[in-house]
Amino acid sequence: MNGRSAAARGSATLALLAVLLGTCAAFMALKLKTDTIVRKKVPGSSIIFIPSGKFLKYATFGYSSLAADLIYIWSIQYYSTPTIDDRFTHLDHIFAIISDLDPAFIDPYETGSLIASVEAGDSRLALKILNNGIAKNPKEWLLPFDAGHIAMMNLKDFDLAQEYFKECMDLPGAPDFTRRLYANALYRKGDLETAWQTWLDIYKTAPDEQVRKIASNHLYQVKSAIDTGRLKEAIGRYRDLTGRLPSELADLVRAHILASLAKDLDGQDYVYDPQTGAVRAATSPWKR
Amino acid sequence: MKIWAIAGITFKEAKRDRILYLLFFFAAVSISATRILAILTVGDRVKIIKDVGLASISIFGVLMAVLIGTSLVYKEIDKKTILTLLSKPLRRAEFILGKFLGLVLTLFVMTVGMGLIFLAVVYLHTSRIEWPLLVAIAYVFLELVLITAVAILFSSFSTPILSSIFSLAFYLIGHISWGLNLLIKKMHAGAGKAAARFLYVFLPDLENFNFRTEAVHGLPIPSSIFLYSILYGVCYTAFILALAILVFRRRDFI
Repeated sequence: MNGRSAAARGSATLALLAVLLGTCAAFMALKLKTDTIVRKKVPGSSIIFIPSGKFLKYATFGYSSLAADLIYIWSIQYYSTPTIDDRFTHLDHIFAIISDLDPAFIDPYETGSLIASVEAGDSRLALKILNNGIAKNPKEWLLPFDAGHIAMMNLKDFDLAQEYFKECMDLPGAPDFTRRLYANALYRKGDLETAWQTWLDIYKTAPDEQVRKIASNHLYQVKSAIDTGRLKEAIGRYRDLTGRLPSELADLVRAHILASLAKDLDGQDYVYDPQTGAVRAATSPWKR
Repeated sequence: MKIWAIAGITFKEAKRDRILYLLFFFAAVSISATRILAILTVGDRVKIIKDVGLASISIFGVLMAVLIGTSLVYKEIDKKTILTLLSKPLRRAEFILGKFLGLVLTLFVMTVGMGLIFLAVVYLHTSRIEWPLLVAIAYVFLELVLITAVAILFSSFSTPILSSIFSLAFYLIGHISWGLNLLIKKMHAGAGKAAARFLYVFLPDLENFNFRTEAVHGLPIPSSIFLYSILYGVCYTAFILALAILVFRRRDFI
């Protein structure tokens, strides 16, 4: 009797194990099958329901920094998955959440702005993310430095770029070359007088010969821009007076429009084309 | 027959549980309060009502399944009534299946109750019955059936508190396991990737029962997913129940 009972138990256990294996294989196969069925999505729906960081902070029970780390790690994976077509829809929302949870966490501002500018092609959004970081970390030089680059290289907004570089170079820890970026932004913005003064200051305080040479080249470029600008203005006045272009630059002095002719930083005359009235420096600043 | 007898007793027992009514009361308040919540929004009020209503049915349903399910088997063991039951010609598998079906019946009644309140609130705003919402509620119920099986599995060898934690962890894992796929795509081929792939397929994917977004936004749902989701739910529930029976058969109550 006992032997029969034990055998029955054994066969029941075997049957149970068979059910276990069978159902396990079945649900795994079904899982793979359901994965192949494409379901419609609302754009951005995968992250639209993540609440604001301000509210999420209370829900983390004091682990807001850890929550920020986890969302940051997740966001890197999420934004580097090209199959999610609408992944950039709520980019600023996600990085604002991380910022609310851990305002001093610098990496997400940098990474977020990089994703916005390079991947999403939205430089204004990149600046929005960086501005949020700058507002919360006013002593961190890296954020205005990145913002200056985006303003200068992507947006070509040199006025905005010089503002960011100015902010950056005044902060502790900022690299010396930020001053050069600031001076270059001033030049490209068209503020030649301030650009000249800044490059002159860099030239005088240069720590080595290489920096001095770079500053010298830029001084050459700025001086050439100032001088050729004045010469072009004088040529215009000459044409207004005589009805023709001067045959040579010395005509401007003879006509008492200029007291003397400016020379470039190396003491060379500017090159004038009497056919077109164009004036340029004799040498390229970078080939001196 | 014995299974249905146990299921009937379990249903009667669950009916007497105050926590069930407390949760139903909160669910009803939460669903009804969506009307007030909708007033605070700008734009589509019905969307907020549907979102919060469906979420309430799902969340309170899971709490009912976990809180009642985890104590069902444990109570019988703790009060030693299991000894009286098992001294009768009753198999342990029948006991587990009876308990499971009894709780599923309870949850069915509760889901129907919550669903009716929800549909009534939506009807007040739209003056029509939206069938996709019924589909979403039906799949919430299917999810609850699986969670009930899990709660009974843990209840068969652990205390109610631990079982509740394990069951809720199962629920959370079920809703985030899809994230493993992102990790798998970034892993290099090898044992680690194979292990992650196995885990991805093995872990529960409760998103298969989540048609709430489609129902709220009126998105088309591929017809094939209905059948495969039901089969997935049935197979996973059967697997968990078989595991629960296997564990329960090996338990010694003396």
